[in-house]
Amino acid sequence: MELSEYVQSGLQTLADSGCFSPSAYTVLLQTAFQSLLNAQADQVALDHPVLKHIDPTVLKHCHAATATCILEAGKHKADKSTISTYLEDCKFDRERIEQFCTEYQKNKDTLEIILGSIGRCPLHITDVSWRLEYQIKTNQLHKTYRPAYLVTLNVENSDSRSHPDVSFSCTMEQLQDFVGKLKDAAKSLERASQM
Amino acid sequence: MLLVLSEEHKEHLGFLTQVDSAVVGEFGRIAVEFLRKGTNPKIYEGAARKLNVSSDIIQHGVEGLTYLLTEGSKLMISEIDFQDSVLVLGFSEELNKLLLQLYLDNRKEIRSILSELAPKLPSYHSLEWRLDVQLASRSLRQQIKPAVTVKLHLDQNEDQTTKILQTDPATLLHLIQQLEQALGEMKTNHCRRIVRNIK
Repeated sequence: MELSEYVQSGLQTLADSGCFSPSAYTVLLQTAFQSLLNAQADQVALDHPVLKHIDPTVLKHCHAATATCILEAGKHKADKSTISTYLEDCKFDRERIEQFCTEYQKNKDTLEIILGSIGRCPLHITDVSWRLEYQIKTNQLHKTYRPAYLVTLNVENSDSRSHPDVSFSCTMEQLQDFVGKLKDAAKSLERASQM
Repeated sequence: MLLVLSEEHKEHLGFLTQVDSAVVGEFGRIAVEFLRKGTNPKIYEGAARKLNVSSDIIQHGVEGLTYLLTEGSKLMISEIDFQDSVLVLGFSEELNKLLLQLYLDNRKEIRSILSELAPKLPSYHSLEWRLDVQLASRSLRQQIKPAVTVKLHLDQNEDQTTKILQTDPATLLHLIQQLEQALGEMKTNHCRRIVRNIK
């Protein structure tokens, strides 16, 4: 893992038990994880009583450094030894390293999900609804008498905002064609996953 | 159900008695061609010169014939009803048979042209799909994230549009299950009964 000077110095300050008592360390560590993983954590709770006596600038520096370190580890799917080695270089003692790794292990999966969901992708289909109707007549043509389907695909944008749905009408044969092609895709997915 | 023809309409069609059956056949062909592609007034002038009448009369004749054919096709009237409707015009036996043949020969095509006038949503044309696996992104390395990308081709009023969409394996299976249920509906007793009884 390679991190900037700024991050390294922040972590070194965090490692220093003169600056951060064991309980202060614990609180800062947990706050850093929460601010990354908890969507509602708009206001980072750096105003915990245990952290009150620490200079706010120092607090922000260490918090940012810790968060960056967590993200880098998550991005590269770093294992325990990589993280330990890095923290050792930043002068963390055994106990603090253990604490960090335990906290990281606890939150690793959530972190990966969040990181994996960042990015662009084409409109994403989330659901489908359909309607079957039997057409009887129009003002230009009577006795039409044929079934028709109306299919609506619910789609979402890459930032999970909804987008106007994609709707289309089709005959039974066309719907069979559509479903047939989707089944081909599913079959080839299954084969690929068995390789 | 009989077609009700106005006096004006009958007058326009009256011209058909003054020409021979080949000409009536030709008028029929012109009428259907106009339905397919739109009217072309030059044709009226050409015919007017050949038959030595004013182009107005030709136009009325063709339009009268067109109306007869489209109304009949729209309502899908039976052979007998068509014959009875035409009887009131007092044409010859031969002309009546010709008109009936014209109706029966062109009904299917005229109905398909009329069906395009209905309000419509984009309709399905075809689908292409592709299997992708995302391996990494700027924010996360070492991923294995399968996805199915589809290109949906739709027709709307002669324009073709395409939409590029993506979905994950779980949603794909859900889509297939839901749409198979949709297809199955046509085979239920309820739908079969309705299709059988609404005629």
